[in-house]
Amino acid sequence: MSNIVDVPVGPQHPALKEPLNITCYVDGEQVVGAKLRIGYNHRGIEKAGEYQTFIQNLYIAERICGICGIVHAFDLAQATEHIIGKEIPRRADYLRTIGLELNRIHSHLLWLGVAAHEIGFDTLFMYVWRDREVVMDVIEDFTGNRVTYALVTIGGVRRDLPQEKAEKMLRVMDALEETVKKYKEMCLNEKTIRMRCDGVGVLRKEDAIALCAVGPTIRASGVPFDIRADDPHAAYDEIPFKVVTYDTCDVTARILVRIDETLESINIVREAIKKMPSGPIRARLPRAVPVGEGVGRTEAPRGEVIHYVRSNGTDRPFRWKVRAPTLANLLSIPVMLTSKGDYVVYIADVPITFASIDPCLSCTDRAVKFVDVSSGKSWVWTFSQIKRMYWKDKPCWRERP
Amino acid sequence: MEGEAVIQELIDVLRTLLFPGFLFFVILGLFFEWIDRKFYAKLQNRVGPLYTGPWGLLQPLADFVKLMAKEDIVPEGAIKPIFSSVPVFALALSLFAALFLPVCGPQGIVSFPGDVIVLAVVLTLLVILVFLGGLSPASRYPEVGAERSVLQLLGYEIPLVASILGATAMTVGLGGSLSIEGIVNAQRDWWSILGFQALGFAIFLLAAQAELERVPFDIPEAETEIVAGWTTEYSGKKLALLRLARDVELAFLCGLGATLFLGGPWPGPLVPGLGGAIVSTIIFVIKSIVVLLLLTVIRAAMSRLRIDQMVNFAWKYLVPLSIFQLLLAVVVAPLMIHLLTL
Amino acid sequence: MPIFREVLRTAPKKRATLLYPFEKRDVPLDYRGRIEINYDLCVGCGLCVKECPSQALELVTLPDGKKKPRYYVARCTFCAQCVESCPRNAIKSTQIYELATYNRKAEVVEPCGTSR
Repeated sequence: MSNIVDVPVGPQHPALKEPLNITCYVDGEQVVGAKLRIGYNHRGIEKAGEYQTFIQNLYIAERICGICGIVHAFDLAQATEHIIGKEIPRRADYLRTIGLELNRIHSHLLWLGVAAHEIGFDTLFMYVWRDREVVMDVIEDFTGNRVTYALVTIGGVRRDLPQEKAEKMLRVMDALEETVKKYKEMCLNEKTIRMRCDGVGVLRKEDAIALCAVGPTIRASGVPFDIRADDPHAAYDEIPFKVVTYDTCDVTARILVRIDETLESINIVREAIKKMPSGPIRARLPRAVPVGEGVGRTEAPRGEVIHYVRSNGTDRPFRWKVRAPTLANLLSIPVMLTSKGDYVVYIADVPITFASIDPCLSCTDRAVKFVDVSSGKSWVWTFSQIKRMYWKDKPCWRERP
Repeated sequence: MEGEAVIQELIDVLRTLLFPGFLFFVILGLFFEWIDRKFYAKLQNRVGPLYTGPWGLLQPLADFVKLMAKEDIVPEGAIKPIFSSVPVFALALSLFAALFLPVCGPQGIVSFPGDVIVLAVVLTLLVILVFLGGLSPASRYPEVGAERSVLQLLGYEIPLVASILGATAMTVGLGGSLSIEGIVNAQRDWWSILGFQALGFAIFLLAAQAELERVPFDIPEAETEIVAGWTTEYSGKKLALLRLARDVELAFLCGLGATLFLGGPWPGPLVPGLGGAIVSTIIFVIKSIVVLLLLTVIRAAMSRLRIDQMVNFAWKYLVPLSIFQLLLAVVVAPLMIHLLTL
Repeated sequence: MPIFREVLRTAPKKRATLLYPFEKRDVPLDYRGRIEINYDLCVGCGLCVKECPSQALELVTLPDGKKKPRYYVARCTFCAQCVESCPRNAIKSTQIYELATYNRKAEVVEPCGTSR
């Protein structure tokens, strides 16, 4: 154990889609330890939210993460409605559920493609992304855009789902179910995929619970933790669905959890369209939100998302806090990447292990810490200090009202 | 008489430089890269290169020219002479190896008894160049890539050489010599692949895939793991030469497969005169393309293995199979032929 | 090895991709593309400007004293909140999505063209 070299993966690395640094301590081909460093992608969205109205913040929230776009807008709307304290129409709940589940289907298929690419299986990557296009088309048909849905608004949704669009959606869901089943078959039987994923990136059940993993990561470790079932919101209380768990705790389990969840989501969309009541799609709520604080939580494709909003009675939030699922899941990465006894991690396993939590770093980087690298000293800068240092001559910064 | 000798010399030089020598193989390499990319895209329901030249035919050339024009960076800690000479030697070695191939007749430009052994040596030397190219820049990703390439060599070299020797042994049994020409002529009526060599051909395809560092054996330059492996620090002209060398090597290995197992240019040389050379060349290229398409299908249908899995797989299955195949070719096949002819 | 079957089955199929600039895909009728402001209907209330999350609309005073929004296409995020906010239905989304231009001036829609 004398020749330990640190191999940096990131912040610029082909395996990473977003900047983050994993320093792997490597002995030959074996990884004996790993250290994470995040914060390369801080965008100050929460701060920006304090200068915008609640309605405007919905569209900023949607841009926290491109892939789970609707989730953040939905969550912020939920938190805001929590402060206002009024019920929203039932049909809006169902439409939101359809939006959330379509989002989950596309996100899981996208992840499957990325995972295939990480293990060098570009053909599967191309196939999955080709077949994901039909979901994107359905989403575009439903909400008016492929990525940023702008579907949710405070008090309901902005668009209704007419009968003919719903029928088209059902047809697409039938075709998609066949495709997803085919991919499940493929992932289970393809020798090279199983060789690369079985027993890789193991996160034992007790570790997953201790490290507060969320979403498919913890469900692949055998813990049935799903906000949709544990704290039903939108229309999840009326739609039966199964919380998928696998207990092999490795990357294969995470692949299978996601594929099975996609199948469940297809069923939820069908069920939601069938059960959807008629009626209005939005309640007109006041623009100025009363004093108070609200919380919204939902199950994003990657895990639990929490939005906290505090209002001081104006039309702008006083404080807005977002907890994205990747922040919870990142903690388990060093555990997965540390060889221990029989469990050996190779350099080749690092990308797929890291990708297996479906990391989204632009959602995650909510805070920055200033560190002087030479002395190791860290400190906190207040907002006015930063302003004085960097925005001195720039009039573009709007004063807080 | 002297004039004739000079003309003969001139023809030889032209043969080496133009056809079927260096220029031919450079063009063939670029063409093969295009076929590889296009067919790979086709298998993935895509289009592949499209805009440069008709059907994107000039895309590999355009890539080469573009890389030639790019900034060439040598890392500060690199051992510069080695670092800079690796691309040149890689291209030179690939082109040298290509001279042995019987493109327009049963005989390559260079041909002597025992040239098969030289080819096996050249294939190993190419990997040693990879190792040097990975170690010389003193950077972490190339170093990992270099280590992996040598580990991988341990796995596939024996099967590769065994499959080549298997093809040779058969012809030796038939009274031919240990040379490419002998192998080609022995397949005049009966291609090797149709007999005992089918297994050898399969082993050769896998080993060639590993030699070329393509999926599932692209471990030394695994993109998502170690950036670009041993080529990480190369840029500009050096990278262009490396890529060209890789293309020529691809053409060479496809041609070698066609020569050893698919009968090389036969039945081209039956046509008399200059027509024979042209027909032979066409047949040879078509056979090489068949090998290339098989390689591309393998590339499309697998994911990258881990280095330990690769070496495991090679020693558990490839090496025993190749030795079995060699025994089949050296002992069983001549015996059966002997019995049949009795 | 089911993928081998899949790969060989895919090979003769037509490509799934579009040759984009030459072949265009249809977008739905209610696609949220570039917005179009009907300055005849606009009363200059400024609600759209107030609600725009990306400051793509700006209220300008015309020579005749009326206030109308100016539209910066490059800043727009196509959320169509203004379409919803407008009390006179003067703004609507279009299907136009190819907005790249060499001319920066073309990205700003000035509120001229009013007949009133």
